[in-house]
This record gives sequence, C-alpha cells and structure tokens, in this order.
Amino acid sequence: MAIDRRSLLLGTIAFAGAAPFGRAFAAGGSESDVAFVSAARRAAGDFCVLLLRADGSVVREIGLSGRGHDIAIHRPSGRVAVFARRPGTFAVAFEALRATPPQIFAAAEGRHFYGHGAFSSDGRLLYASENDIAGARGVIGIYDVARGYRKIGEHPSHGMGPHEILLLADGKTLAVANGGLDTVPDAGRENLNVDAMEASLAFVDAESGRLLTKHAMTGDLKSLSIRHVTQDATGLVWFGGQWEGAPSETPQLVGSAGRDRELRLIAPPALGAPELKGYIGSMAVSADGRIIAASAPKAGHVLYVDSATSSIISQSALKDVCGIAPEGREDFATSSGFGVMRFETARASVISEVELHDLAFDNHLRRVV
Amino acid sequence: MMVQQTIRITLSILALCAHAAGGVAAERPTYAAVVQSAVEKHVIPRIDELKAAAYPLPGAVGDLCRTGSAAASETLSSQFGKVVVAYAGVDFLRFGPMLEAGRRERLSFWPDPRGFMNRQLRLILLNKDQSIVQPGAIAKQSAAVQGLSALEILINKDVPLGPGEASQFRCALAETIALNVASVAGEITDEWEKPGGWKDKMLQPGPNNDTYKDASECASELVKALLVGLSLTADLQLKPHIDPKLKLAPPYEKSGLQKAFYAASIASLRGLYDALALEDFLKPDKDWVKNWAGGAWRTIEASDGVGGRSEKAQRADAPPLREVFDKMNGLRKLVVGEMTVDAGLTVGFNELDGD
Repeated sequence: MAIDRRSLLLGTIAFAGAAPFGRAFAAGGSESDVAFVSAARRAAGDFCVLLLRADGSVVREIGLSGRGHDIAIHRPSGRVAVFARRPGTFAVAFEALRATPPQIFAAAEGRHFYGHGAFSSDGRLLYASENDIAGARGVIGIYDVARGYRKIGEHPSHGMGPHEILLLADGKTLAVANGGLDTVPDAGRENLNVDAMEASLAFVDAESGRLLTKHAMTGDLKSLSIRHVTQDATGLVWFGGQWEGAPSETPQLVGSAGRDRELRLIAPPALGAPELKGYIGSMAVSADGRIIAASAPKAGHVLYVDSATSSIISQSALKDVCGIAPEGREDFATSSGFGVMRFETARASVISEVELHDLAFDNHLRRVV
Repeated sequence: MMVQQTIRITLSILALCAHAAGGVAAERPTYAAVVQSAVEKHVIPRIDELKAAAYPLPGAVGDLCRTGSAAASETLSSQFGKVVVAYAGVDFLRFGPMLEAGRRERLSFWPDPRGFMNRQLRLILLNKDQSIVQPGAIAKQSAAVQGLSALEILINKDVPLGPGEASQFRCALAETIALNVASVAGEITDEWEKPGGWKDKMLQPGPNNDTYKDASECASELVKALLVGLSLTADLQLKPHIDPKLKLAPPYEKSGLQKAFYAASIASLRGLYDALALEDFLKPDKDWVKNWAGGAWRTIEASDGVGGRSEKAQRADAPPLREVFDKMNGLRKLVVGEMTVDAGLTVGFNELDGD
C-alpha cells in the first residue's frame, strides 16, 4: 500500500495542453490572452491549474496529481511554477503564454513544499519555501531553471514553517513569511507547536541567504502566524496572518514592516465591521502600489487598506473568497472556492462577475501579465 | 486515483438506480432545529461526559499513590480509559471553548511525531523541580506535559505509581496533571453552558451576536467540525496503518486504547452526523447519496480502526482499512459536495483548512 511519491506524481499528472475547460469558456482566444493563473479543484474532485483570460474564462488547464496552492511567476519570460499545497512534494513549471509541455519536479528527500515560491529577477532561479522535516527548520530551496528545475542549494528561512516568499523590488531581497508552526507530513496538517510557535517576517539576502532583518512576533502577537506578503510602492512589506491563539484575543491580522521600519498592524476597523475569523488567506497590492488587499475566506471578505495611512478603505463580501490579484490601476480581481471570479474596486464596488460552474478556485490568484 | 474513480462510478450507478426508483424526500428541517439538536443532544452530553470522567481522575491517581494496590491500579487504568474515550468524542469540536486557552492541546497532546512530550517529561522527571507540582503550576508549562498524553506515560512506567520514595515525584506530577485535566474539562463545560456561553451563542444567533449572525453560520460551524473529525480520523488514525511510510504512533497505544479511541471518534462523528440531519436536506432525487452514506457508515463502524472487526459491527467481515479510509473520504466528499450544497450551507473550499 506504500505510495511512492515520485511514481504517483509522474504516473498521474496529465498535461491537458490547450484543451478548454468548458464549452462556455472555450470560444476563441489564444495563449497570449492569458491574464491570470490559479490552482483549482474540479467538481469530480481532481485538481488542476487554470490559465484564465482577463474576463475569467479559461484558456487552458493543466492537471495536477494533488491539490496545488500558489503560483510563482516570472513575468518577463511568462514562466510559471505551481507548488503543491503543504505538505505536498510536487511542483509543476510551464510557460503561461505558450502551450508547451510542463516540467515536473519534486522536493528533495526529507523536504516538502509549503505551497509558495518566487523566481529570481533574471528568471534563472526559483526559490521555494520548504520544510527540513527532520531538522524542524524552514529552508528556501533554490532551483536552477535551465537545468530542468534541479535543486542546487538551500538557504535557511530563519524561522519555522516558512510560507509565502516574495522577491522584493530591489531584486536582491527575499521577504519570508515564517509562519512559526511546526508540521510533519506523517501527522498530516496538524500544527505541532501551537503553544511554542515563533512566527516572523524575515528579510533575507537572496544570493547569500544572510539574514538582513527579522521581525519576530512576540508578546500579544506571539500566536500570529505570518503567512502571506506583498510589497507596496514605497517598498514596505505588508503581511497577512492566521491567528492561532484564543479567538477572543484575535488582533488585527494585517500589518506592515520594512528592513528599517518596525512592524505595525493596521488601524482597527470601524465598530460594527465584520470580523475576519482569524484568517487571512492571500495578500495583493494594486498595480499602482497604493492599495493593499487581504482576503479572509473564513469570513468571506476582502479587506482593502490604504498603504499610506494603514487605514481600512472598505471591506467587500464574497463567500469563500481567497484569490486576489491587481486589475487595472487600482482595482482587483478576486476568486472564490465557489468558482466565482469577481472584479471590484477598492471601495468594494463590483465591476463584473463570472461564475465558472463545477470548479473551486484555490487560495491564490496571480496576474500573469 | 483508482479509488476515486471507483467511488465516482459507484456513486453514478447509485444515482441512476435512485433516479429510476424515484426518491421520497424527508421534511427539510430548519437550521435552528439542527443546531439545537446537535448542540443539546450531541455536544453538551459529550462535554459533560468528559467532565464527569475527568473529575474522579485525580482521586484515582491519589489512591494508587497512597496504596500502590492492584485494585487502585486497575481503577486508575479504567478511569484513565474513560477520560480518553470521552476526549475522543470531543477532539474534533475545534471551535469555541475548545480553541480558547489552548485547551485541546492541553488535554491531549497527540499526534506528537517529534516526541515533544516525552522529551519534556523526561526533563521534568530528571530535574524533579518541586515548583512544577505546586497547585496550578503545570498549567504554565508546555501543553505537551499538561494532559492525558503525559499522564499515560507516568501511569505506564516500568516502576508503577505507589507510596514508595522512587515514585514520589512521579506521583505528585501525575496528580497535578490529573487535576489539570479535570480543571480544563471543567472549563470547557463551563464555557459552553454558562449563561451567555457558547451554547447560547449557537442557539441565539443574530446581529448582536459577535460570532454567529444567523443559524446557518452555526450549522456550518458544526458541519465543519464533522468534516474536520472525518479528516482527522482518516488521516491520523487510519492512514498510518495503510501507508507503511508514515511513522505515527496511534493514540494512547501504551494503554491499549487505540481501538477504543477509534470507536469513540466514530461514535461521536456518527452522532453529530445524525444530529445534523444532513440527509433530510437532500433533494428528492438524491436517495443515492443516502444509500452511499449508509453503506459508508456501516463499513466505518464495522472496523476497529486497526484492521479488525468492531464489536458493534453490522457486517460479518472486518473491512480492509483501505476500504474504511476510502469510505471515510468518500463520505466527507458527499457531505461537502451534496449535503451541504442541498442544505444551502456555506462550507467553502478555502475556508475549511487555512493555509
């Protein structure tokens, strides 16, 4: 009954090429129409990556052997890599704008992915957040794109349970969201150290792996597991967290920090604003770099924050919303676990909405171009 | 993948049969009614059971430590088993009072693949720090050493608990831990049942309720607990038996309670499933869902969770654990994909298990 990870992966992954997902969304278009990419689950229960047009219709899908999570994108080359959801071990890289066969690669023995990664600015390297299972420490795996995504090294993540990693605008620094939680694949997705967790936001030199700055979550924020990050126009890194402590003590879940600026949480919302149920599932920044979006799927809300004032602009509502990506200059595209893709302003006004039947969008929606 | 295909084919055949036969729908209950039923007939009795089982535990430890008698040892083993079984029935109710103050981990530190508990307990026993056994002090230690998992080790050491000097510190520690278990179990009950507590929160949703705005949110919370329980049981109790690459000790194996833990998990899951009356929300053409779910429950309940046949099995054979595992996952898919959909409940893909 033993399941060989690699044979399972290679045996079941399927490349669907340019096959359209559904008739309703199959008409016309070409590969160059691709605007968004997201992992998804189909009604039959199997998993895939969807390449979507700007209107939310499907250009192409690539089958996956298990549930995917986030997608790293190198926009100049159109190269993308989707990672298995924690504690998965597969990753699939392909070209978003050309229907070429995908390249499959796996985490090394004793490692698993946390579902996120980032390309280097020249696109030659791919960084992935990983778990050194035996060592109980987070690492950043380094993969050589030209050599078929062969692993060529590792940096420490400078924390435990790294989740999203983001290459900052300087092209040299990685912002690492160390969730602080210890997991072991043998125990599924159970968090093993909730009462002793050490979350942090680490700034790491991408070339050397040297720790530049680390903001540790301590005191009242000790149980705030930092998971997702984005960067605004001024260079500040914005994070969204998952609260692992007592629900009655939940703090603000969104905040910002810089290499030389201390960590700050956003101002509390106005009285009567719906709560976020302790969970931010994805972060994004508007194309102009001014507005931060944070999705809260358990609450079914997207929170829009003015990065200049750290105050909440608005809060939109959509059941099981999680994927968010910039649209236009200061609008956003959102996607939900109920197959809805909605375009809206940061004032929470709906611009348009499309529902793709029989599929559920996974946590992250990324803009390809 | 093949198993998934088999499930899909089976479900499709059942769907055709049901369609041909023409199903009759039960009366659709209200969300408020199922929440009341689940809370009052399922949740409250089970947390009360845990409190009742935990209350005599410190006394049972004390008796053994004072007398060292075989009878006292047997009483403690039996009482410990009752608490573990009662805990298994509430382990998956991971919301509200169970989530506050880390109560779940403090009651039971399992799974523990890294052996945190053993390492920390060994240190405590080595250092014999008397401050740890002072009243209330254990509650400030790591969750790993506060509850049933640590107590199990202390009870099952080669040198039994008793009045001798060799087990003096171990006795003091065991009694402290037992008191903590009783205290945490009591807190859970109080937080659920006090006026304005979690029971009231769930039974009186509304605009002024800070957690639940309407009864559908309460029903969704309970359905999520059911789904969490099915996942936990499949992945942590069954899967390690069918995938030899997984190295995870079964729950309370040292006390021989792994079968009892499985049986209690399943009994409680079934109880919650029935209390939620999810099948009553199904559309008239969904008899195949009920039939499939009924068969899945029979298989799940026929197993003892470690490869044998349950004492209460309705079928003659012991179903292979792979089959039990697949049925449990299939049932989970039916709850998410058919029952909650027909019930109009929001159980989203992304919200279920954050990442």
